[in-house]
Amino acid sequence: MIEPPHPFSPSRSRWRRQRDRLATGLIALGGIVVVLAVLAIGVFLVVEVLPALLGGQLDTQRVFASLTPMAWGTLKAALWAMLFSVPLALGAAIHSSMFMSQRLRSRMKPTLELMEALPGVVVGFIAGLVMAPWVERHLAGTLTLLLLLPLGVLLAGGVWRRLSPAWRRWFSLSRAGLWLVPWLALLVMAAFALSPWLERLLVDGDLRVWLDREMGIDYASRNAMIVGVAMGFAVIPSIYALAEDALSGVPGGLGEGAHALGATRWQTLWKVVLPAAAPGIFAAVMIGAGRAVGETMIVLMASGNTALMSLSPFEGMRSMAAGIVVELPEAVPGSEAYVMLMLAALLLFLFTFLVNTLAEVVRSRLRRRYRWLGVAP
Amino acid sequence: MSAWSELASQRLPRSEGPWAWLAAGSVALSLLMLGGLLLLIAVRGLGHFWPAGVVQLELEDGRALAGRVVRELPLEQGERERLYYTANRDLDGQVWHWLAVSDIVASERPRDLLVLERRFHGEFIGRLVEVGSVDFPDPTSTATADWNALQASLAELQALRSERDRLRREQLRPLIQQLDADPRDAQARRELAAVNERVRALQHAMQGKVAILESADGRRLVQPLDEILRAWRPNAMTTGEKLTAWARGVWRFLSEGPRDGNTAGGVWPAIFGTVLMVLLMSLLVAPFGVLAAVYLNEVAHQGRLTNLVRISVRNLAGVPSIVYGVFGLGVFVYGVGGSLDEWFFSDELPSPTFGTGGLLWASLTLALLTLPVVIVATEEGLARIPVQQREGALALGATRFETLTRVILPMTVPAMLTGVILAIARAAGEVAPLMLVGVAKLAPQVPVDAEFPFLHLERKFMHLGYHIYDTAFHGNDVQAALPLVYATALLLIGVILVLNLTAIFLRHYFRTRHGYVPRQ
Repeated sequence: MIEPPHPFSPSRSRWRRQRDRLATGLIALGGIVVVLAVLAIGVFLVVEVLPALLGGQLDTQRVFASLTPMAWGTLKAALWAMLFSVPLALGAAIHSSMFMSQRLRSRMKPTLELMEALPGVVVGFIAGLVMAPWVERHLAGTLTLLLLLPLGVLLAGGVWRRLSPAWRRWFSLSRAGLWLVPWLALLVMAAFALSPWLERLLVDGDLRVWLDREMGIDYASRNAMIVGVAMGFAVIPSIYALAEDALSGVPGGLGEGAHALGATRWQTLWKVVLPAAAPGIFAAVMIGAGRAVGETMIVLMASGNTALMSLSPFEGMRSMAAGIVVELPEAVPGSEAYVMLMLAALLLFLFTFLVNTLAEVVRSRLRRRYRWLGVAP
Repeated sequence: MSAWSELASQRLPRSEGPWAWLAAGSVALSLLMLGGLLLLIAVRGLGHFWPAGVVQLELEDGRALAGRVVRELPLEQGERERLYYTANRDLDGQVWHWLAVSDIVASERPRDLLVLERRFHGEFIGRLVEVGSVDFPDPTSTATADWNALQASLAELQALRSERDRLRREQLRPLIQQLDADPRDAQARRELAAVNERVRALQHAMQGKVAILESADGRRLVQPLDEILRAWRPNAMTTGEKLTAWARGVWRFLSEGPRDGNTAGGVWPAIFGTVLMVLLMSLLVAPFGVLAAVYLNEVAHQGRLTNLVRISVRNLAGVPSIVYGVFGLGVFVYGVGGSLDEWFFSDELPSPTFGTGGLLWASLTLALLTLPVVIVATEEGLARIPVQQREGALALGATRFETLTRVILPMTVPAMLTGVILAIARAAGEVAPLMLVGVAKLAPQVPVDAEFPFLHLERKFMHLGYHIYDTAFHGNDVQAALPLVYATALLLIGVILVLNLTAIFLRHYFRTRHGYVPRQ
């Protein structure tokens, strides 16, 4: 019978050490190659664009001239999306970090994460083919909603103060995010039921005709407002998640101190928690802006793809991402259009990369600050 | 008055104030939008397969119509108008009718109204007059033909069709392959002729019969029976029958290919293309993502450079997908694909083989796009493993590689799985980069078949997300395609939600199993 080699025999341990060195080397090599491949994207875009622009064969003036409306459209779409999503996302983050119970919050986060997982093409389809015609027919109702929803929520708050304590406990503020949903649905229906009457009262007839006649505003069916709402919907979850992390990461001692001195939860938030978490919230908004700038399918399907340069919410636009996806497959490599689209891609890359880096730096500083303030998150 | 007494004279606030309510309202609004969207897609997507009732209308000007109500809109002065789907494209030239509600004199739901799904000209809505043979069509006959006769003939045709398909699959194709291998095989040649004769006889038997149909306004139509795919009388069906028909409709949607310029039929090729592409992608992304994460977390010197690389990789997850598409087009399709064509497929140039978008390039591009997701998730998993585990293994004499493969990696498996599942969920929903690197509106050939090398990486493929975009925005009749777009969207969302829920569950399981130990 052959003796099994002793586990610590010199030859075996040498072999193990060599194997260890070899495997580690291979992992390092593979890892470096993968990381380089991922980072190659930026290098590739620069290599495609810079020589063509500096080489002098192309009319750079024309390239920039055709890029400007697309850059404008990108920023406009992102602006309207942020106008819609930032208040909603920050409000939701504040509510769930300050008012919700731990249990409810742990259910809420995955739900909104699912919202982020909805593919852009589905949101774009609903926005472009369902919401755009609907809003065009019910423009007055949609604008009424903007007014009616906040007022309705405040009304609910006012009514709540008059309730008996038992009712108040049942419909508590910490669960308001849930029981307000049917109330809001009711408000939406009320807005659309009221709007024809309001329209007759205020603008005698059709709001769209009135806008065209009195204000000279041309209403396009697929416009910046639709894009703003649809893309805002897609951006809300990412802003929410990051802002919520920043708010609930604030060391508990700060908030508890404020509570002990008699501040309400909202005062605590406004005077203590929000200033502490401000950089994190800034980072969340930046990352949201990065997503809004790069989102392709929603803009493509809901914007009408018209290269206009205006800030009006009722007119369409064309964004860089949508332009790339429509035109690049047909552009001949090396041609003016190709270089222009590559430049657009490079701009998108640089913008999102810089914005994300900035946000990441801010967040890591914030984490250090929280640790310094005492309790680690 | 001092500041203190000023403060004391104010009443202490008893409620949180208006802003707290507005914050609660924004949570409610987000939930309402999410719920509304999902509900809309689910109702419209699933409702399409329900065999809805058909109404027969009489109008003020004496016209008669039969069709399904699609929707109703208000006109000026309190009027309303309805959109009816009346089918019969071959008789009317159009399938939609907008009618003012006040113009409708009478509307009823006769039980004998028939809906046919046909291979050409879309659906037919009307009455059955007679089922007869093609040689003696008797258009003057007025007797109401037996519905059962039609069903019997259709069942007979279906049997003939499946017999023909069986013959083709089981006898014809092997014989042709045999002859391809040895063209002088006389025996096979004779057998082939005999089988061909039988197939031809079956084809002929199928063509014999016609149905004579009558539209609601009395126009007659002779319809060959072999062009009819299905027939049903929605007004005479019970709820149970409708449920069965609904389930069959859902199944056909999942298992058949598109017809009529993507406005009818199913999405099987798109499901197949999406799944295949995502599978290839996860085969690529899983090992490389884990490799990079292990390198960054376990092997590399934890210095400033590694931290910089780590932040960059994290940020690449935020770079728009379209930029990855541009990279895929420039590097994979034009660069690598163009060179491959020059080296190996030069006899087929100038028509490109790999130099155009295809399955391989799409999977590679999406793999690159989802690499950061896998790297970040795996790194998080690695960072969470208690340092005592590593120290314990090393103290017992294990080398670094052994510690890695026997202790650390097995503990990280759930984190890796989470990363890969999240990557798959992201890739399944991405459309923009695919439009640059290889998706097709209608791909006649599925990328997998019995021909060597079985998996055709250079072929274009269909994709659920792109199918939605294309059908909704580039179809001829968007109104007709809309229900199928809803159904496709529902399918896509369903797949992605299931994947995400799995990832969330895995993460939760993982967190509760090993305590959370953040990186110091």
